[in-house]
Amino acid sequence: MASITAVAQTRDIQFSEFDLPNGLHVILHEDHSTPIVAVGVMYHVGSKDEARDRRGFAHFFEHLLFEGSDNIGRGEYAKYVEKAGGVLNANTTGDRTYYYEVLPSNQLDLGLWLESERMMHAKVEDKGIETQREVVKEERRQRYENQPYGSILPEVLKRAYTEHPYQWPTIGYMEDLNAATEKDYKNFYKTFYVPNNAVLVLAGDFDPKKATTDLKKYFEGIPKGGEIARNKVVEPSMKGEVRDTVFDKIQLPAVVQAYRIPALGTSDFYAVDMLNRLLSNGNSSRLVKNVKDAEQKAVFVGSFSLPFEDPGLAIAFAVANMGVAPDSLEASMDRQFAAVRDEPVPETELEKLKVQIETEHATDNSRVAGIANNLANAYTFLGGTDKVNTEVQQYLAVTAADLQRVARKYFVPENRVVLYYLPMNQKK
Amino acid sequence: MKSPLLHTLALAATLLTPAVMTAQVDRTKAPPAGPAPEVHLGEHKSFLLDNGMRVIIVENHKIPIVTAQVRFDIPPIMQGDIAGYQDLVGELLTSGTARHSKEQIDELVDGLGAQLAGSNDGIYASSLKRNFTQVMDLLYEVVSSANFPNDEFEKAKTRMMSQIGARADDPDQIASVVGHALTFGKNYPHGEVTTEATMGKADRDDVYQYYRYFFQPKQGYLVLVGDITAKEGEAMAKKYFGTWKGAEVPVTKDEQGHDVVKDLGPIIPAGAQPRLPKDVRVAFVDRPGSAQSVIKVLFPVDLKPNDPMATQAQVLNTILGGGVFNARLMQNLREDKGYTYGAYSSLDADRWCGSFSAGCSVRNDVTDSAAVQIMDEITKIRTSPVTADELSLAKNNMAGSFARALEDPRTVARFALNTYLNDLPEDHYETYLKRLDKVTVADVQKAAERFMHPDSATILVVGDKEQVAEKLKPLSTIGRVFLYDVNGDIVREDRTEGATPAPAGMTAQVVMDAYIKAIGGKAVEKVKDLKKEYTTKVQGMDATMTEYNKVPNKYAMEMKMGEMLLQKLVFDGERGKVSGMGGEKELIDTDLDEVRGSAYAFPELHYAEMEQVAKLMGIVDIDGAKAYRLNVKTLAGGQFDEYYDTTSGLKIRKKEFQSQEGAGGFQVITDYADYAPEGGVLFPHTLKQKGGMDMTLTATKISVNQGIADSVFSVE
Repeated sequence: MASITAVAQTRDIQFSEFDLPNGLHVILHEDHSTPIVAVGVMYHVGSKDEARDRRGFAHFFEHLLFEGSDNIGRGEYAKYVEKAGGVLNANTTGDRTYYYEVLPSNQLDLGLWLESERMMHAKVEDKGIETQREVVKEERRQRYENQPYGSILPEVLKRAYTEHPYQWPTIGYMEDLNAATEKDYKNFYKTFYVPNNAVLVLAGDFDPKKATTDLKKYFEGIPKGGEIARNKVVEPSMKGEVRDTVFDKIQLPAVVQAYRIPALGTSDFYAVDMLNRLLSNGNSSRLVKNVKDAEQKAVFVGSFSLPFEDPGLAIAFAVANMGVAPDSLEASMDRQFAAVRDEPVPETELEKLKVQIETEHATDNSRVAGIANNLANAYTFLGGTDKVNTEVQQYLAVTAADLQRVARKYFVPENRVVLYYLPMNQKK
Repeated sequence: MKSPLLHTLALAATLLTPAVMTAQVDRTKAPPAGPAPEVHLGEHKSFLLDNGMRVIIVENHKIPIVTAQVRFDIPPIMQGDIAGYQDLVGELLTSGTARHSKEQIDELVDGLGAQLAGSNDGIYASSLKRNFTQVMDLLYEVVSSANFPNDEFEKAKTRMMSQIGARADDPDQIASVVGHALTFGKNYPHGEVTTEATMGKADRDDVYQYYRYFFQPKQGYLVLVGDITAKEGEAMAKKYFGTWKGAEVPVTKDEQGHDVVKDLGPIIPAGAQPRLPKDVRVAFVDRPGSAQSVIKVLFPVDLKPNDPMATQAQVLNTILGGGVFNARLMQNLREDKGYTYGAYSSLDADRWCGSFSAGCSVRNDVTDSAAVQIMDEITKIRTSPVTADELSLAKNNMAGSFARALEDPRTVARFALNTYLNDLPEDHYETYLKRLDKVTVADVQKAAERFMHPDSATILVVGDKEQVAEKLKPLSTIGRVFLYDVNGDIVREDRTEGATPAPAGMTAQVVMDAYIKAIGGKAVEKVKDLKKEYTTKVQGMDATMTEYNKVPNKYAMEMKMGEMLLQKLVFDGERGKVSGMGGEKELIDTDLDEVRGSAYAFPELHYAEMEQVAKLMGIVDIDGAKAYRLNVKTLAGGQFDEYYDTTSGLKIRKKEFQSQEGAGGFQVITDYADYAPEGGVLFPHTLKQKGGMDMTLTATKISVNQGIADSVFSVE
């Protein structure tokens, strides 16, 4: 059977892992093909861990953690990495904050020092806080406010979630950031930025024995933090479809449909993700082929899973072609969702999805920066680092019956938020 | 004294469990680096096929993926009045061949789990090794026999037109399109602008003939990378492209000796290199309600990829703003001033004409300050040497970047391809690190003197004109801000603002009385009901608009596309409702006030009643005609301007500001023309609206006192 041969050909990512006494989990992946090494630290803290009046704090904190440490002055952090010939960056989601560098392999210790300094005793000065407040404000303007359709995610989230912190976007709100005090910073840091809440990944050209010795030198001395009391919120099911209109500086109307889906790593999540690929991956996918090509209703259409640690969303988004009204566009999209609910997916189409998954799996794990991220992700969210290799099986195990089942369960009007994005001059 | 607000987060951390005893490490300074690793470029194989096509193969078995790139060496040519047709080449390439329809090609590609993407100079494919033979088969079929079906062309063109129309929404797109036009000039291929008009003129044959003329083996490259041996690659290349001939395209010559291709026209290559602007010009594209200004400082640069100073130029750009966090622009505009999320520069080498661009997106109130800082940084780097520290960071970083890029096997293939395309020395990339290492502070200064031109530059800003433009005047050498539209065309100054005073004795009332007299006098007061039917286009499609008025102040408006209702508004004299694509909503507060204010067929007769105050502001020039400008303030606190021709008395323009919560507002200008009588009253038969959505309404039927049922205005 085609899928079994497919499995045999995927190449596993080899790795070793262990815990330090202070709770830090360490994952090592050797790759000597290029003389570089990726150093990544994933902290299990994101915007869903924020207090309700400190929305945006986790992301703001990410900015602040580049401002220095007891041994690193303001502006020095990036200088060390760049002077060493490396790159650095970080990103925050609803569930985690990830910091990484990619360095020449003879600078591994620099990466270990920098990340351990960040974890052990990061330091922020007034000037840093004030500057990063302004920078985050500009980030918000640039990404959300000054872009056509830029507000879609915040507008969807606030209607899709009523209890859960996912209801606010990771970028947060300026009034909350302006209200943050010294106590807030200290508490956040001491609660979440602790070794027992983090995983350190090294991927690339290093000697595992030496690397282990060196990383212990830098990280073992960091005290273990306390047990983290997570405020687990279970979002109630939707009480029926939510529909609304948003006016924006746009010429072409857009339709956004957000469906509530299961959490990352659950078996239904894989079926939902496969369903999204059926709908939108490639020109022969259901939405692209029908809504965009055959019916010419959209200049763009797609459907994507937002993989969250707690139940997340699948977002279908389409921008109308000229002369197409949003209700006509929505009807066209709905016909495709109905088709997957009503008719089982033919085997040939399912096989197509599987070979797409297999191809993606191969390319996702081609560079050390990506591999480091995938390893950290598997450990933090998928229940074990080995999932980086076995997760693809869960995709390949999805059947046509599964696709139909999840379509009927999740991709239904009662379980969604629908937004029409309309040009501003249609407001009157 | 230590600032009481200095935050030391370590304090909290040390109160927890005691540290484990470990080997001592000195945290107070960065650890030393180990010995520098060797950077190997890796090999490639290169050979020519009999038909002149060059093949480049890079073997790499790390992952079971093979990629193929076909690239044609096509010079930039003027597109002229069909600008934009080239952008359709890529999509049409995979939209059908003699053997397969687009739908079949899409199924084949997805069924193989592959990528297949055309562009205006070639095509790219990638897949798992085990599917690659089939992918190669399809790739060759597409390159050699794409037949550009007309129906696929029309669909792609319509989508493209929609997107061009939406350019005005996206400040980065506007900055890019207008930026290129201003850097190179619109009469240079790099600076040509695609508009709805030019794209509208393109037809299938233009695109098809472009492909046939330029996709030829003698200027073609096939690059194979990945899980494929040199032997396999060679066999594949010969099997598929070995005997490929390319299309035979009939060509004549014009007077200038240019090739003239049947159906496409003359192939006009890029002309003389664009010149630097003679001073600093400020160009502004208005995007009302913008939350930020997008700033770009621009000028063309004489820099080709094989220039002996190319590497020094890259070092210069890295120090100024080329992506490192420690670059001058980033440190100044973000880390010091907090004006922006990111500030960058790029100094692009190009075989025909290079360019420089530096900028960022900033909040409105610091636009002028940010522009000043960017210009200062460009000037500083030209006039004073960079520091040794900056130089070494830039060089180290570029060396590191070079090494990191080699993780992808396609990098080495790209190096090989570039060596041919850009006419580089054969060892250009092998010697890159050595060459980079040798760059000195003096070299960077020489490069700055040659390539940085802060005195001959265009400062382009895309943002909210009302809030920002005025303050940019000092940045311009001649103290002027030139307005441009989203197509890079200069906008005639709105001279309706600077009014010359009206003659003594003229008042708003006199102007309005003259208007009523001009359109019919007593006949105007006899109008009890009015129905005006218009045709128009909405997003390129035919639509109709109908307005109804009934005394005293009932009003309704309906906009339809065929039978489909786009929008409907009704006002029964007290309550109002709007319905359409977004659902239905009763009007309240300012929305209701605004409708009430414009519900009369002839509002001028009712200003006093509505407590609207009209004031004569003066005489202005509108497209060559003189007009009285009246400013009318509404009870709700809004205002609008109305313009009446001083000779005919007719109203020729209305200018209103439509506000929106949160995201600013926009100005709408309506021009009235082609007055003709109906029922004894003159009505304008052409209404041209600009701002928000641009529309022209043409009256097809105006019915006076024909009777309109009250139900037409019902809010239920």
